[in-house]
Amino acid sequence: MVKTDFLIIGGGPAGLSAAIETGKRNIKTLVIDEGVELGGQLVKQTHKFFGHEGFYASVRGFEIAKKLVSQLNENVVIMKQTTVTGIYEDVITAYDREKDSVIEIEPKYILISVGASERFIPFENNHLPGVYGAGAVQTLMNQFRVLPGKRILMIGSGNIGLIVSYQLLQAGAQVKAIVEIADKVGGYQVHAAKVKRFGVPILLRHTIKKAIGEEKVEGAVIGQVDDRFNIIPGTEREFAVDVICVAVGLVPSVELAQMAGVKIEYIPELGGYVPYRDREMRTNIKNIFVAGDLAGIEEATTAMIEGRIAGLVVARELTGTDQPDLERMQQELIEFRSGPFSDKVRKGLERFFSQQIVSYSKDGQKDLGPTGKLRPIIECYENIPCNPCQTSCPSGAIDVPGNINSLPIVDYSKCTGCGICVMKCPGLAIFMVQENFQPGKDLVVLPYEFLPLPEKGQKVIALDRDGKDVAQAEVLKVIKSANKTNLIHIVVPAGLAQKVRSFRIPQKADSLVCRCEEITVEEIEKAIDEGYTDYEELKRYLRIGMGPCGGRTCRTITLGILSKKTGKSLKEISCGTFRPPSMPVKFDSIIKGEIEHEK
Amino acid sequence: MRRILAHPILDVEKPKVVKFFFEGKELEAFEGETIAAALVANGVDVFGRTEHSRPRGFYCAIGKCSSCLMIVDGVSNVRSCITLVKEGMQVKRQIGRGEITW
Ligand code: SF4
Ligand code: SF4
Ligand code: FES
Repeated sequence: MVKTDFLIIGGGPAGLSAAIETGKRNIKTLVIDEGVELGGQLVKQTHKFFGHEGFYASVRGFEIAKKLVSQLNENVVIMKQTTVTGIYEDVITAYDREKDSVIEIEPKYILISVGASERFIPFENNHLPGVYGAGAVQTLMNQFRVLPGKRILMIGSGNIGLIVSYQLLQAGAQVKAIVEIADKVGGYQVHAAKVKRFGVPILLRHTIKKAIGEEKVEGAVIGQVDDRFNIIPGTEREFAVDVICVAVGLVPSVELAQMAGVKIEYIPELGGYVPYRDREMRTNIKNIFVAGDLAGIEEATTAMIEGRIAGLVVARELTGTDQPDLERMQQELIEFRSGPFSDKVRKGLERFFSQQIVSYSKDGQKDLGPTGKLRPIIECYENIPCNPCQTSCPSGAIDVPGNINSLPIVDYSKCTGCGICVMKCPGLAIFMVQENFQPGKDLVVLPYEFLPLPEKGQKVIALDRDGKDVAQAEVLKVIKSANKTNLIHIVVPAGLAQKVRSFRIPQKADSLVCRCEEITVEEIEKAIDEGYTDYEELKRYLRIGMGPCGGRTCRTITLGILSKKTGKSLKEISCGTFRPPSMPVKFDSIIKGEIEHEK
Repeated sequence: MRRILAHPILDVEKPKVVKFFFEGKELEAFEGETIAAALVANGVDVFGRTEHSRPRGFYCAIGKCSSCLMIVDGVSNVRSCITLVKEGMQVKRQIGRGEITW
């Protein structure tokens, strides 16, 4: 039997924050976590966080996890790879996977901060390998450096869908489209802008109909929906993808809370079934607290604040001393939840206790500054709780008036053009421009988080906000940043300063093998190196020969490459199967034909 | 290979290689990664089959959906997404509910 003052189930942002507070106050705290690394979902977040400095704004998620872990002291005992299996009247049991044994725990106070699980949606063949929750794709690529596939279809345009799409691009995958059933993007505009400027289309009023494939995902069919979210017949279209990433939301993991006797209510605004809790994160059971996504789906910053509140309340009760930080944390939470993106959460929480908000300014920057001066252009038009632009500016030129929910305003007379705000903005929403920087040329400075970095003097193709090519440009300067948001200065033809917001490095001349599906010699060679040494395998993996030409152009070239790379003669290699139709035929004419010929 | 070898934000270290067996075939993994990550890195997408023989992959990767249950060293119903791969480990696809072991 393990005895402890405070048991925290779940070592994510909420649980760790609580443990920091109680550890600091000499309270014996035990943190039990299922995962292999502490930090919960923070460990796979490679983007910089919004919010303010007190809660690690502009720091990347996995670094926040490290910072939290480093603040735990010797009063905090950690058990990883351990699952709490049951909460009974007199004892709690946990299974230690490493030691393969079950332990019993008797705590005085409990915080349940186990987070949430991926929401699932029904569509045909959704059991197929290759259909992943968005969190799973992030875990694989950012925690374990494994890419589940090359061509991705994203379902859902909330912040998670947008962020994971951007991270997939960074890891070298292709995001074919983001599909959104609603008529507007669910997440922050700044996140949406990040993927749009690399040309990823966001298809509103669309949903997935089915996954294609026998053993694993080879494609997906999507369609446009009507007002009742049914697919409109005839609008279906197919994408060739190997991963369908489902980012349609999260469901609070209430099992343990319910087992412990906590009252559970259905509040859709908070993500579904959630435990009752009060302002102090206490449930209807005196010594049981909840915090983080389990208490209502939000984001990591509010989870950290909730965790600290729970930890402080437990500390107050165990030590019998008032905790002045408690009120400050509650105030922080009110401020964070004052913006429009928290409308839903506030409405849901109203069911438990009344909500307050602080007011903020909705007036953003109007003028684009003095033409010809090197200056920042802030493209951040939503009241998101965020202010690193203000706090990072060494000259005090940026103001987020009142509180963090207000829109940033630049005082161009104070700005020195240093570019720090561009590097710091977690939304990558700040750019710098200078018109007529040279005769006939404008200068644009872009935040850039991709590999390879371009080189000084390199010719690149400048892209607009939708990722469309607008002009040839030349790289003038590359400034590497410690926080990995590098600044690339590019020179564009005059008149484009307010248009260019991204660039791409032109591919070296490719030699195409398959003209229908645009597959190159290099791609085929790479696939063979990866172990695809049979024509049929290559066909399924690369979709070579699956275009309308039926392989007329590419089959012999592909077989030739196969022969050369594997050392087998063409005679030994199977040429694969041919399937009808040999040329595309309209469905319509097939049906019509039947009828007319019968006549 | 589906390993990410260079990343604009994350450091990509060279971890220690361990060997394990999947359906009797020897595969390479990195120390500290889960069975699920190691399998996907090796191009394995089908982790098992449902009772009705549908191929099944994994879904959540954080131990919450139970889609990734596999037979590990003879034990059924192991969540491969939160179990670390170990040298010499025997991993097999699970079909249906799996056998009871003590
Ligand atoms: S460019 Fe430098 S001085 Fe100007 S607003 Fe940004 S951080 Fe401040
Ligand atoms: S411009 Fe300022 S408020 Fe907007 S996302 Fe960037 S740092 Fe945050
Ligand atoms: S993939 Fe969900 S539990 Fe393993």
